[in-house]
This record gives sequence, structure tokens and C-alpha cells, in this order.
Amino acid sequence: MNRFEYIKAPSIDEAIDMMDSTVPEAMVTRKDGSAKVVKAAGTDLLDLIKEGILEPGRVIDLKNIPGLDKLSYDKEKGLQFGPMVTIADLENSPEVKKHYRALYLAAAHAATPQIRNMATMGGNLMQRPRCWYFRSSAHHCRKKGGTTCFAQIGQNQFHAIFLTNVCPCVHPSSLATALVAYDGMVELTGPEGKRVIPLSEFFTPSEVDVTCENVANNQEIITNIMLPPVNEGTRAFYSKHGQRESYDWSMGDVAVVLQMDGKKCRDARIIFGAAAPIPLRREAAEAELKGKTISEKVVAKVAEKALEGATPLAHNAYKVPLFQTLLKRAVMEAVG
Amino acid sequence: MKNDSKERSPEKKKQGVSRRAFLRGAGMTTAGTVALASGMLSFKAAEPAPPKTAVLGPGETEVRFVVNGQQRTLWIEPRTTLADALREHLHLTGTKVVCDRGSCSACTVWLDGKPVNSCMTLAVDVEGGEVTTVEGLAKNGELHPVQEAFIEHDASMCGYCTPGMVMSCAGLLERNPNPTLDDVKLATSGNLCRCGTYPKVFDATLAAAKKMKK
Amino acid sequence: MANPNKKKVVLPVAPDKEAHGPVKHLYSKKIKLPYGVPGHGLTEKEREVAIDEPPPMPINEKLSVVGKRTKRADALYKVTGAAKYTADIQLPGMLYGKFLRSPHPHARIKSLDLSAAKRYPGVHAVHVLDMEPGGSVQLDGGHDASAETYNIDKLPLLRYVGQPIAAVAAESQNIADEAVKLIKIEYETLPFVLELDKARQKNAPVVFEEKIEEEISEGDVGVTAADKQQGNLRGPTTSSFLGGARGDVDKGFAEAEFILEKEFRTQVQTHCCLETHGVVADWQPDMLTVYSSTQNTAGVRDDLAELFDLPKSKVRVITEYMGGGFGSKFGAGHFGVMATILSRKTGRPVKLMLNREEEHLVAGNRPNSHQILKMGFRKDGKISAIDLTSYGTAGVALGAGVGRVAQDLYECPNFRMAQYDVFTHAGPGAAFRAPGNVQGIFALEQMIDEAAERLGMDPVKYRDIIDNHEVRKLERMKGAEAFGWKNKKPGSDPGPIKRGFGMAQGHWTRFINLNSSATVRINKDGSVAIMSSVQDIGTGTKTILAQVVAEELGLMAEDITVKIGDTLYPDGPGSGGSVTAGSITPAVRNAAYKAKMDLLGQVAGAWDVEVSDLEMKNGDVYSKSDSSKKMSFGEAVKKMRTNQIVATASRPDDYGGFEIGNGIGYGRLGSVQFAEVLVDTETGFIKVERVVAAHSCGRPLNPMQVESQINGGVIMGVGYALYEDRILDLNTGHMVNANLDQYKLPYAKEIPQIETVIIEHYGAFSSTDASGIGEPANIPTAGAIANAVYNAIGVRLYELPMTPQKVLAALGVS
Repeated sequence: MNRFEYIKAPSIDEAIDMMDSTVPEAMVTRKDGSAKVVKAAGTDLLDLIKEGILEPGRVIDLKNIPGLDKLSYDKEKGLQFGPMVTIADLENSPEVKKHYRALYLAAAHAATPQIRNMATMGGNLMQRPRCWYFRSSAHHCRKKGGTTCFAQIGQNQFHAIFLTNVCPCVHPSSLATALVAYDGMVELTGPEGKRVIPLSEFFTPSEVDVTCENVANNQEIITNIMLPPVNEGTRAFYSKHGQRESYDWSMGDVAVVLQMDGKKCRDARIIFGAAAPIPLRREAAEAELKGKTISEKVVAKVAEKALEGATPLAHNAYKVPLFQTLLKRAVMEAVG
Repeated sequence: MKNDSKERSPEKKKQGVSRRAFLRGAGMTTAGTVALASGMLSFKAAEPAPPKTAVLGPGETEVRFVVNGQQRTLWIEPRTTLADALREHLHLTGTKVVCDRGSCSACTVWLDGKPVNSCMTLAVDVEGGEVTTVEGLAKNGELHPVQEAFIEHDASMCGYCTPGMVMSCAGLLERNPNPTLDDVKLATSGNLCRCGTYPKVFDATLAAAKKMKK
Repeated sequence: MANPNKKKVVLPVAPDKEAHGPVKHLYSKKIKLPYGVPGHGLTEKEREVAIDEPPPMPINEKLSVVGKRTKRADALYKVTGAAKYTADIQLPGMLYGKFLRSPHPHARIKSLDLSAAKRYPGVHAVHVLDMEPGGSVQLDGGHDASAETYNIDKLPLLRYVGQPIAAVAAESQNIADEAVKLIKIEYETLPFVLELDKARQKNAPVVFEEKIEEEISEGDVGVTAADKQQGNLRGPTTSSFLGGARGDVDKGFAEAEFILEKEFRTQVQTHCCLETHGVVADWQPDMLTVYSSTQNTAGVRDDLAELFDLPKSKVRVITEYMGGGFGSKFGAGHFGVMATILSRKTGRPVKLMLNREEEHLVAGNRPNSHQILKMGFRKDGKISAIDLTSYGTAGVALGAGVGRVAQDLYECPNFRMAQYDVFTHAGPGAAFRAPGNVQGIFALEQMIDEAAERLGMDPVKYRDIIDNHEVRKLERMKGAEAFGWKNKKPGSDPGPIKRGFGMAQGHWTRFINLNSSATVRINKDGSVAIMSSVQDIGTGTKTILAQVVAEELGLMAEDITVKIGDTLYPDGPGSGGSVTAGSITPAVRNAAYKAKMDLLGQVAGAWDVEVSDLEMKNGDVYSKSDSSKKMSFGEAVKKMRTNQIVATASRPDDYGGFEIGNGIGYGRLGSVQFAEVLVDTETGFIKVERVVAAHSCGRPLNPMQVESQINGGVIMGVGYALYEDRILDLNTGHMVNANLDQYKLPYAKEIPQIETVIIEHYGAFSSTDASGIGEPANIPTAGAIANAVYNAIGVRLYELPMTPQKVLAALGVS
């Protein structure tokens, strides 16, 4: 790890004053070792620094800022939690388990128990992709400001099958899959104040800017994450497949949130994780499901729709049937 | 969140203050504000805290935290991980570094009662916290039941993953006295063992749970 | 000068291949030892042995400590974090080392400038390793690794990513890491080849222009002659120490009722030792002391003594605790040599531990394989011919054969093999738990399974026809019983998740290392200690030594202090090839027996009885003829005339001699494993639910530790079968998963329910009659899982690891 300065930010406002760079910027345009970046738990930040692909000049710690680790649930308002809420907090919250099953399942299957105790939701949404070329200091890839995508021409078995043109890395957050499925919102606070945007707009595909995965700018911090309320007709499920059942990154994960009228699906949100550089909404599949009574046959058609337009790479064609199966099973489990 | 109230600092116990007001109240007076607001003037919170807005490092800086019940003061660079602080500075080498990336949990210690990866934690972040390492698990010369059971059931082979396994499994029993086999597997699902002690780690932990109930 | 990467004494295969008769002794006696399996026709075998051999050790049932479930001797220190491994060693004034390594798979060094690194505050030395490391390959270009200066023209060609170039020693690991980045170096990159198939092609970039001499094979077949090297292809090796081709293979195929010919591929597996390779070297004027994470303290000492021209008596290697080796930790290694050089240069101890990435790149791996196996079967199922051709790459090293299983596991009169090594621009392979045989069994046992199906026979019963090895037969029977083999109905599940059952077997040669000596000390205060340079690599060696001595002296295992892993003590064997238990325990028992005779002699003098009338049991010393004469061990030692009784003994030849040379015992260590799997036909995921592992290791000294070893072998086999794979980027030559995040190993939820069946088998081979278990436990697992997968889905997978990708492809889903 490089040497860096460290400061505990006492408040969000002060943290915003102290920071001057996003992590992506620090890795591409601010590589002179002067970048001042914020850190939550640091599980991803330390990883990047240890790999020698991020060399910040100053690390601003957000842990001491009071109030950022609150989680609250209200029947009318839904779920709200601060960026310092850990994955374990979500996993252990009775409200989350009761009302936001897909989020609970995503939390319970993320990383390791140790990491879940440490890693925060703010950090989780801001973490960088796990593409092994991106993580390797020996490969100066597009995401790090280079001109080559080593994955497109190399070992891409765990890479994207959608939106693969510029950079086929997949978004690393499996929690995001569930959050986007619930149509979650994120509050970003910057020098100009706050802005609240849907998570589906927070994440940006490589086509927009290959060097970063979201819209947060160099003086913005996630200050709140909000999920709309659920109702009695809400049915949800999340499932993740890694190569291992134990601690592993996702090869494919699926979150479905359905609004049911009895056996009929009134509305649906279907999100794929580890399929694209962003948590990927499958709108055609959602449309296919709307208004239908759920059956094996309907679900098969939905799964087919969901994979339309997939452009698998040389070594990941297996993800197409994998996602189809995961989706079929997730819908059936959701309505169970 | 049944298991966090006891271990959390007074700051986090504060209820009933609006977020906005709380933010304004923060700053140099945080400790005092919190102590008053929470009505719990704890000894720890009342201690004069080092100025929080100071830029530390990149050279050595003073960090204080409790390790195995003892207050320790270290001079370390901000980049120093908790694992390195324990191993290199405090000579507590029971905590092992294997993957150095949070993937194997060999470096597991308890921070404020919860198992975490010391290799992915900055020691400066632990300021004021309480760390328990494998060396501090035995109390008053008595092994933790998990340690005893590990010996009884031959749950260590080369032993390099053992401290992390012990901390994961003992951590499980601290929060769940009636674990199932699946619970044990879940608790150790981030712990790598290359020798293959898993079956006996499972046996030992379940046996320790039984023994602790007696 | 020898190559420091050469890993010595992996398998103690003697060059002399002639079978020996029984050992001749000047004074000998005849003793009758237990022979066979208790409960299954156990008899006695008379052996003529040296006069000072201890009396026969009865079967386990009649013993108090040996054969009993005994707590691991050092478990307390492991569970409390008190155990000090090499990585934990901190010496006053210690410096930290860090390597500069090749970032290119094939390159020439054009320029090298150390000045900035040398000037960096806190740096004490920078050294260029101007020699070519290459795994087991002898690549000495005549340079002196310990030289103070380097010649740019003589710097080695870089042949793999990670090849060591230079190293620094500095006051902290951070400073060393920073300083090494300040070394300015320019490379001229060259074309490279990584793939087994491509490396064999005529126009492929050549890894070694020169002929490579191989001293000792890292693989398990034999040493190939350097003249059989063309381009990157080397070999074939057509024989092992068990012999070469036999019979007439073509005639055998002509006589066959049917012939199966299939191609199998296995991947590169890295050892992933939890404690990385490394040392702390402390060069002092009177002694070089090296703390080393090694499987062979004596071997490291020998390497360093030779390289630095020191008498062996002035090199001390210490391995008190060691965090896993699995075959990769023999020899001083380039890091051991470098640390020693840096320590000599600076006059301070130097710690040099590899980091996790280096561990994957340069510390060894199990070579991959491409096996073309052709077998002929008669109508009655007997095998009429076996023809095996294999290719494998150990990168820049040799030893990529696929073992002896095709040659030796089943009866077949007509056999031939051609095993080729292929050089590629990748990190060196190293011995890895049952080298070659694990790869080989994946092919062989699937083919036997296929033959059984073709013959319409049950796979277990079919093996009874082609394999008459008595112990294995028993293992099949008992294993099948424990597994419930008879009642298993595959593939009947209605859903997409199919259940399957399979079995496979394997065997391992009983290797003995005669360089196995130990000292037993009895102190007048009643304390007893064992000393040997043999190391405990996690297998439980300390415990079994304590048990053997305790049994002999009538004490408890915890009464015995075991001081091992230090070359100041008598030489013990390297721990690899499942040799340790079988080699060192007879030496230890014999030393304990000698010490006991000495003690009893003194007691007999005091009591005026015959020594032969005295017995030590349950903590007492007593006269067998006069029950009034009895005292505790504690009292008995007070009769000692000196403060200490010291006895040293070495491993004698096997009773009855060796089958081959000076280290290959008669008999094989059989292993039979049964696996139950679930295969999700829609996602391709395989889950191993249950494994029954039936094994023999001679006399099981500590069944609890034997179980642990078997568990470990099975779990490593699960990893090999389903998850593990070194993935190289073909465009840059880098391993993309050189971490424990993307290199997938089995964790808690991947662990099947494992049941072990241990066959207590006496062969009357030594004073303990023990053998090892490490290797045999790992050999059949992947084969058993592969057969179970076939059983579940009706499609056979010929390539490892059996990932979801491969399962879906095999099922035609993707």
C-alpha cells in the first residue's frame, strides 16, 4: 500500500469539503498521488490500494460522522438506511427480512460473514468491478484509462453477456440487484445540496463513461438509500449463483419483485446481476409477465424474453441458460 | 439487530434527535453532545478525545485501542492494517494473514464483538475500539469451549487457518447458542482451510455449543 | 553450483532398481509379527530381523496408546495462536526482503539500474539473482548466485511471469515493497507460448534452446533423458521405477472383445499453502540459521550448505510449525537462497516470505494433462491391453507425467505408455500430493467405469474381477457397505436436479526414506523427549511420535515432549510422498526401545532381576515374575546413574527387504472412494453430497489424525474435480486469478459429508508397521466424482474442473 494521509471527517459537509476526487478519477486522471477520496469501511478501497491500482494522497474516513448508520422502516414510507449501514445490519434486520425478502436474501448471500460485518451499503454501491484485468496492475485496461479491453479478447468466463461493447465487466454489487428491483432511490449529497435519483439511473453503463460505474461526482457522497413501501401483493425473490455456494462473487444473480393480484401478476421488476456493467433491468420480460397468471409456461416465455439481445463472449455463453433458469426459478419461488 | 446494542458506542445509542440537528451538533463537541443526549455519561466518551479533524500521517501517528482487554497505544502509519498492527507492532502473531484481501478469513478478530477481517481494516479506524484476538479468547487461564472442542475433535491440522476458524466459530456461539450444522457452515463460509479440517471444525463447534449449554 | 529450486528427495526412489532379498544381519533373530487384517484372517509372519530390533508390536487392540484416538500434540498451541510459524518469526534487527519479478512471460533484460533502490532510505541491500531458476530443472549457467556483482550479459532470459530477477532487503516490508519498484529495468519482449497443444507445434516459440538435465523428477514416473527434447516437447518417458512396457500391446488389442479409447484433460492446480513459501535467514559467522516453511528441514540444510559451500554442521534449519506444503515445499527455493545472500550481505537476519500472488505464480503447481488412453477388454472383463499417451506442462519445469496408475493398478499383461513433458512459458510445476497419479486416475477410473457399463456389470463387482489386491477388495466391500452402494438408484429424480453415485479407487507406492533417525532422551526427573529433524507439516507427526514412545515406555502421549523440525537433531525424512509415518516411527520406536533397555538394565541391577523380566506399562515398571517388585516410572528413573539416558536409532530396511532399491516397500496403499452427487441439469452446478473413503495405511497409529488426513485428501479432490483452475491470460501470460478470491477452493458449504473406513492392515514391515495416508487419500476423489456425475446425468465429462460451463456444454444446453 502507498503512504497516505488520513482524516476522520466529523460531518458530511466537512467530508464534502475535504474530498476532491472520486475513486475512478483517482485511478485515471488523478494518479499523481494527490487525490483525496472518501472511505466508508474501506473493504474495497483497501483492496484497490493493495493491488497498487489506486494511490490516494488522503483518505477521508466517514465512520465518525454520526447518524449515517441508521435504518428505519415505515409502512407508508418504506425502508430507509444510511450509507454506513452494513450488509450484516440489513441481513439482521427483522423488517428487511419480513418486508424486503429479495434484499434480505441478497444481503445474506453477499461476501463472507466477516465482510458483511464490515462492508457498508454506501461502499457496496460505490465499489469497483471485480474484472481480473481491471484489478491487475499489469493490465492497463480501458477502465483504468488504457485503450485495450483485455477481457473482450481474453478470459471472460465471468464477464457480461449484455452491454459488452466497451467494457464487459459486470457490476460487483449483488445487493444492487435487489435494490434496483425494489426501485430504490439514492440520495447524494454534494456542495450544492442533495439530489435524489433512482438507483437505476445511478448506475451507468460503460458506454457513458468506461472509467466509472455511476453518476456520483468528485464531491458527492451517498447519504441515504430508500426503498418504496411494499404491500400485501408484493412478492419477491433473489437468488445468486457463484461457482461456490460459500463465499463467492456472483456468476449470475436475479432479483424479481412482483405485484400480484391473486395469481395474476399486475406489475413486475426483473433485474439481472453479473450480466452487464450495471444491474440490468429486463423490461421486455417484465412486460411479458404483466397481466399474466403465473405458470411454468408463462415463466419460460418470460425467461426467453429476458435473454433476448444477449451477446455472450467467447467463454460465457453458459450464462444465457443460467440466467434463464435462475429467472424461472426466482419467479416461481417469489409466488411460491 | 439484536446483537449490536450492547457493544455499540454511546453515540450510536442516541435516539430521538433529528438527523439534521444531529449533524449540526456534530464537530468538536460531538462527544459531549452525545453523552448528554443519550443520558449516559460513559467513562470512555467523557475522555478527552484527540482532535478529530486533524490530518494524520502519512508518517506514524498515535492510535489507541483495547486489545484483549488491555489498552494499547501504537505509533503507526495510517496505511497500517489492523492485522499488521497486531502482528508486527504488538507481536500478536496468532492472527494470520493468508490472502491479504478478505477472501480467506484467516485474519479474523472480533472488533467490538463482531468477527471482521483485520487485513482489510485500517488500524487507525479502530481508534477507541475493542479488539479480541485468538490470544485473548481464553479467560482466566481457561480455554474458550470452542478451543477445547477444537483440540478434542482434531479440528486443526497445519493450524494456519485455525485462529480464524476459532474466532469465526466462537463468534457464532456468542450470538447463537443453538447453532445447526448449516449455521456453522454459514459462519465459516468465508474461512479457507487447505488441509481439510472443515468436517471436524463443524463437529467441534456443535459439540462446544452443547457443552456451553450445560 | 546446484539449482536452489531443485526440490530434493520428493520421493526416495533409489537408482538401484533391483529387488533385494531379506536384509542380512551379523546377529539376527526371528520374530513373528501380526500379518493381515484383524477380523479378516489375521495371521502371523515370521521375519528375520536385526538382534536389536524391539519385539513385535501387537495389533492395535492390545495396545494402550498407539492406535488410540489421541489428541494432536500441538493442538493447544494452534487453537490459542501461540504456535510460531516461519511467517511469525521476528528477530532483533531483522530486515524484510522483496523480489523484483518478471512481468513478461518471455523477455530479455536490456538494462538494469539499481541505484535508486539502493539509495532509498531504509534499504540495506539489493541483489540480482543472476541465475536461472526453473522448478526442478537444473538450469545452472555457471553463474554464482551468491556473487556480489552481476553481469548484464549474463542475466538470465525471463521465461515466465514471476521469474525472480532481484531482491531488496529493507527495514520494513513497506520499504522493501517501495524500493523494489524503484529498480529501473528495460525488457525486450519475446514471443511466448502457454498452451499445451500450441507449445507442441513446430512453429511454437521455444522455451529452452538448450537441453535440460533433470536430476530428480518432480513427477512420479521417472527422469527423462535430455536428448529426448525437441522444441518444447520432451520425452517420451516409457517406464517408471515399476518397469516399462510389458507383453504385446497390439496382440492384446487384437484379442479384445471391445476397445475403449478416450481423451481426458486435467487443469493446472496450485498448492495454495496457507502459509506462503518463505524463510528467515540469519547469517552469523559461526552458523547460518534459517527458519523455513518447509517439508524437509534436512533438504533445505543440504541445499544451502552446498550452495554456500558451508559444512552441513554449520547450517541450521528450523521448522517448528508449518502452514501447509502439499509437495511444494522441498528445497531452499530461490527465496531461501536470496534471503541467505541478503543476510550475508547485511549481517542481519532477513525475512523473505512470498506474497499470495507470488505463491500462485512461482511456488509450484500440479501440471495439467492431456491423456489419450486406449484399453482393450476381454469378454470376461479382464483387461487385455493398455496403451497410454500423455502430455502435460509443468511450465518451465519437468515432471508433468500422469503417474503409474495405468501401469500398476489393474492386472493387464500388455502395457505400454509414452508420457511427454511440454515446456511452456509459465511458472514451474512442483510435486503435488500424489503427483501424476491424481491426473492419471481421473482418466483410468472413468474408463473402468465405462467398461463396467459396457459389460453390464456393477462397477464394484467389476473391479473384483480385474483387481485381486486383497486390501483394496476389502476396502471396496466395507466402503460399499458404509455407502449403501447396493440400494443406490441413480437418475430417478423427476426434477432438473439429478442424483448420482460413483466410485473410484487408486493406490500409492509404499515409499520408505532410510534417512530417518531420532533420539529419545529420558531425564532423571522423569521427563522424556524425542528429537529429530523431521517436521510436522500438519499431518500430526508430533503426535504419532509421542504415541509410539509412550507405548514403548508405558506412558501417556502427553508425557512425551516432541522436539522436531530442527536440523541440530538427527536427520529425519522429508515429509512428502506419504513417507513420514512409515519412515520415522520405526526409528523412534527403536530409539525408545534402546533407551528403555538402558533404563530397565539399571532397574534390573537395582532389583537384581533379569532385564527380560521387566515390563513398563501404565506408568509403572514391574517384574513379570515377582508382583512385589513394582514402582512408578517416576521412581524408576531415580535409579538412573546418570542424569540422562540418550538413545538414537535409525530406520532399518523393511523387514523382509524392499521390493525395489532402498526405499520402495512391498505392497501398495490402497484407496477406494464412493461419491454421491447432485447435478443441476439447468444450471450445471454439481454438489458433492457425500463421500465414503475406505483406506489402508498399514497400522493406523492415530485413527483421529488418519481421519483428518483422509478428509483433507477428499476435500482437495473435491476442489480439483469441481473448482480449482489456474487461469492464464493467453495474450499477456499473466495468471488472472492469482489470489484466493478468483482461484476457487472448496469452502465450508462445498464440503461433503465424509465417512472414513480405515482398514487396519499389518504387513510385518517394521517395528511399527505404519504407513502414510496423505497421498492415497487424494488420488481417487476426482475419479469417483466424475463417475457419479455420469451416473447422474448420463453424460460423461472428460475434462477437469467440472464447472457449470462444462456441464451445460456436455448436456448441450449452452
